[in-house]
Amino acid sequence: MSDAKRSDVTPQANPPQRALTLHRELTAVWSDLPGWRGVLASVNHTTIGLRFMATAGVFFAIGGVLSMLIRAQLATPRGAFLDTALYNQIFTMHGSIMMFLFAIPMLEGLALWLLPKILGARDMAFPRLSALGYWCYLFGGTIILLSLLAGVAPDGGWFMYTPLSDKTYTPGINADVWLLGITFVEISAVAAAVEITVTILRCRSAHMPLSRMPLMGWYMLGTSVMMLVGFPPLILGSILLEMERAFGWPFFDVARGGDPLLWQHLFWLFGHPEVYIIFLPAAGALSTIIPVMSRTTILGYGAVVAAVLGLVFLSFGLWVHHMFTVGIPHMALAFFSAASALVAVPTAVQVFAWIGTIWKGRPQLKLPMLYVLGFFLTFVMGGLTGVMLAIVPFNWQAHDTAFVTAHLHYVLIGGFVFPLMAALTYWMPLICGRARVPKLGEAAFWLILIGFHGTFFIMHLTGLLGMPRRIDIYPDNPEWVLPNLVSSIFSMVLAMGFALFVFDMVMQWFFGALSRRNPWQAPTLDWAMALPAPAYNFASLPAPGRDDAAAAVPLARGEGILPGAPRGWRETLVVEPGSGRPDHIAVLPDNTILPLATAAVIGSFFMLMLAGIYWLTPVAIMAIVLVVWRWGMVMGTGQDHAPVHAAPGLPLPLHWQVRGTLAYGGAVATLVADGSLYACLLFGVGFLSVVAPGWPAPESGLTGVWPAVLVAVALGAMAVGSVTARLAEAGRGGDLARQRALLGVAAGVLALVALAGLALLLDDPRRHARDALRGVLLGFAVVHGVIAALLALRTYADARDGRMGPSRRGATPVWRLWQDFALATTAVSALLVAGQELF
Amino acid sequence: MSTLDPAGPSASLVAGLWWAMLIGAGLITAFVLILLAVAWRRPEGKGADERVWTLGLGVGFVMTVLVALVGYGFWVGERILPRDDGAVRVTAEARQWGWTFTQPGPDGALLETRDVLYVPAGVPFDIEITATDVIHSFWVPRLGGKMDAVPGRVNVARLMADAPGEHEGLCAEFCGIGHSVMRFTVVVYEPGAFPDLTVSGGDDE
Amino acid sequence: MRWVVGMMAGPVLWAVLFAAVYALHGIGCAWGWTGVAAPFGSLHIVAMAGVWLAGLVLHVGILAAAPKGPAREARLHRMGAWIGLVASGLTLLPVLLTSTCG
Repeated sequence: MSDAKRSDVTPQANPPQRALTLHRELTAVWSDLPGWRGVLASVNHTTIGLRFMATAGVFFAIGGVLSMLIRAQLATPRGAFLDTALYNQIFTMHGSIMMFLFAIPMLEGLALWLLPKILGARDMAFPRLSALGYWCYLFGGTIILLSLLAGVAPDGGWFMYTPLSDKTYTPGINADVWLLGITFVEISAVAAAVEITVTILRCRSAHMPLSRMPLMGWYMLGTSVMMLVGFPPLILGSILLEMERAFGWPFFDVARGGDPLLWQHLFWLFGHPEVYIIFLPAAGALSTIIPVMSRTTILGYGAVVAAVLGLVFLSFGLWVHHMFTVGIPHMALAFFSAASALVAVPTAVQVFAWIGTIWKGRPQLKLPMLYVLGFFLTFVMGGLTGVMLAIVPFNWQAHDTAFVTAHLHYVLIGGFVFPLMAALTYWMPLICGRARVPKLGEAAFWLILIGFHGTFFIMHLTGLLGMPRRIDIYPDNPEWVLPNLVSSIFSMVLAMGFALFVFDMVMQWFFGALSRRNPWQAPTLDWAMALPAPAYNFASLPAPGRDDAAAAVPLARGEGILPGAPRGWRETLVVEPGSGRPDHIAVLPDNTILPLATAAVIGSFFMLMLAGIYWLTPVAIMAIVLVVWRWGMVMGTGQDHAPVHAAPGLPLPLHWQVRGTLAYGGAVATLVADGSLYACLLFGVGFLSVVAPGWPAPESGLTGVWPAVLVAVALGAMAVGSVTARLAEAGRGGDLARQRALLGVAAGVLALVALAGLALLLDDPRRHARDALRGVLLGFAVVHGVIAALLALRTYADARDGRMGPSRRGATPVWRLWQDFALATTAVSALLVAGQELF
Repeated sequence: MSTLDPAGPSASLVAGLWWAMLIGAGLITAFVLILLAVAWRRPEGKGADERVWTLGLGVGFVMTVLVALVGYGFWVGERILPRDDGAVRVTAEARQWGWTFTQPGPDGALLETRDVLYVPAGVPFDIEITATDVIHSFWVPRLGGKMDAVPGRVNVARLMADAPGEHEGLCAEFCGIGHSVMRFTVVVYEPGAFPDLTVSGGDDE
Repeated sequence: MRWVVGMMAGPVLWAVLFAAVYALHGIGCAWGWTGVAAPFGSLHIVAMAGVWLAGLVLHVGILAAAPKGPAREARLHRMGAWIGLVASGLTLLPVLLTSTCG
């Protein structure tokens, strides 16, 4: 850290104040409401992050119990413990829960809880979005869990291959529970991805450049960008499959131009990046913990960042290695085989950087480090079997056998759970303010390590002996009996280890001795605060040269930037993304039950879909629109505010009076995810038209002049919308903005009318996949048209009610951005369909 | 039905690949753990150059191993692929939960059987695999890799059995309630000596 | 932020090339390009190899345009360029090595 160079941009320090006074002032503003209202209305990242992690822990326990049932069933060749139908539900739920309800929410929780602390901010960029994500996760997870209790849980395997999961072969609601429940939960993943991205880029401490931020920031940035791009394929796939199940639109039905392989592509286009989405935050924890536990700094910061970059990209080029046996030509397999092997390089760079860090330092065998060593042993082996599976001919033999089961548990438990346990034991003092109870943690570690390897090491052999995945009995294969029994016995040891780990956490939470501040003597900002972490994190925000754990006392005395809460608002600093130069001050929302209400109405939509009451769903959608409309209300202010002097010589505007707000960044991030969804849709069109057997499609009914006219009207009206958005922003001082916004609303409505007319001309979407895809393209345009019109209406309301002014733009920048995106995607869709008609 | 006890050239090539990879993986794991142990025990001092760790070990060493391994994998893969050389053709049609095979019968005419496939020993055969309902996967571990049976598509796999005998086969892709019991048998006969169907119970409807 | 964009240029180009060549492979197999003669081989191979080699030239250009010097930003920029070049070079090498549609 070149402190000398930074000092020339350092603002002068604020005068010291009494720390306790500041603490009271900030606590009054930042803390959750007392009692049950606090449970419902909290938006604070510390609270929400811990809730995410605790809930994920509960789901981990449930998934773990399911895995014990699986092992009990497989302990003997004729297990009569579960019947096959129930067994199928249980292994499907084990995988789905561990992936979607444990791993992803756990890393989201860790990110939400940790990032503002380690980057030097007071909260995440979008506190209400944190809360919305949590409620969506909780409600969606509960729906899925209830289905298990009701005996109608998903039973098609956690990757839900069609046609097994379609209406013919899964007539019950089992598959709908998965598709709708998981999609509901994924709302929280996308929400988390949006806010993690924006938080890392814009909510760091002053003058902390991207190139010097803690490595955890890079890892989480990589994770969140991957989530933005990687989750939409799954969301699209789930929407398409649910539409096929509910309305008979044939995207995956070969007889009508669909292809079951499209599902596999979409699923694994999500599913493989997902593995790295899970691994990266864990690796971030390792890169944070290993240097601290070795009393040194990380070796090769630049190489590690480059490795993250490589992983983020390469992991999107591996998905077909889950599909090596579906009959894809050898050359295509070879591309993905090479990419799958190559992805081991950035992984290895990190592993060697970590060993090098230990090498140059003075390692201490404290409990987190024990889990780090468990990680090394387990993950290296899992990585090597991963390389084996990347080799096509070996994969042909090992695919869908217990070998793969063993591999994925080595990678996920080795690469995620061991680092996670290192992270939990490492950050636990900051979470609860207490030191751990001696000895219990070590015992849990050894039980987990022995139980894990005892269960899964031999499972490689079981797979090579020919045992496939997902079978419940094997009466004709005596050679599989002993290895399965060994796995089953050790799995119980593993379960005891996890139980002891949880017990240890609980003991620490309630009975641990009070911990001193910064017990590990770590350098990062997360330890520059009192234990347990206060609701506001920092009484004043870290200034350049004072952005490490040693600054705890000056920060608590208000000597940093933006001390206290003198205006009674939740304020945090927003910086320029690359350099970290202070840009403006964001006023964050207060406690509110709006996120809970929003999640509830979204949940009502999913419940109606699940119950098959489709005619009532428009009501739920209207309710969602109404609730979301309320979100915009606190975004505006009716007056101009003077700049705030965050420190002597550092006057900063409030966010209402700047264009590049956090919200604008959030809109851009959302559109990245949206664009990924749209790109996947285009891939679906291309894939089916080139590869699916049931093409060419039957004669199209989109003939004559009317379709062209309607498309032209829709595109023209959307273009007018784009122009009016610009004009409304330009005319924001006076009445012009209102008139122009109204024109924008009118243009939006006209576009929607034209699109509705087009819908009447479309061929029956149930006839052929081409017609179904056209229906989806049109639906995509309509959804975006509706949101654009609502943003125009929002601008109109802002202008009318005085929330816009010469320096206050209201929602116009976001409207313009959205309108342009809607116009562009609709134009591409129109060109695509025109191309299909002409060629 | 062990993949490690190959009974045909395809499975033999893959088993060879496996043993080579196992040895390599064992050596690499040992190497990493030894590095870790040394890193732990050595007295604190000047650490090695960053580039030795990241560029030397992380990129150089790993890339060398991977290029060699992937190349070996491509070579094996190319040798396993079906080619146009007039091999015996048989078909497998999977359904919930069983298999229908067609193969040249004793008199040379096509013979349809359920859950038993008859192939001659010592000559390669191409098997055209499809499914009528959901996705299944054709796998005879001792003969070679699996190939999915996908509705609407015909996938072709090439296998060969070295000697007469019987091999167990199974459905490797989860396909519903009957997945565990969706087994079949491959009966390998001496060319020209088609087994007596009444004895081995081929068409046992 | 310029260096962040620069750092990502190489990997982004890899992603584009990888998607393009994979798409060309699928289209070529579906539309029978393996049987269409072209200079240096079948139309299929020539199309894929052409895109690949053109991409590699671009990759070298990105690498050449990356800033020199020991600053961390410059180093990351160069490392990104290298990652893209190596990834494109290796992952698409099968164009020349393996059988196309078998």
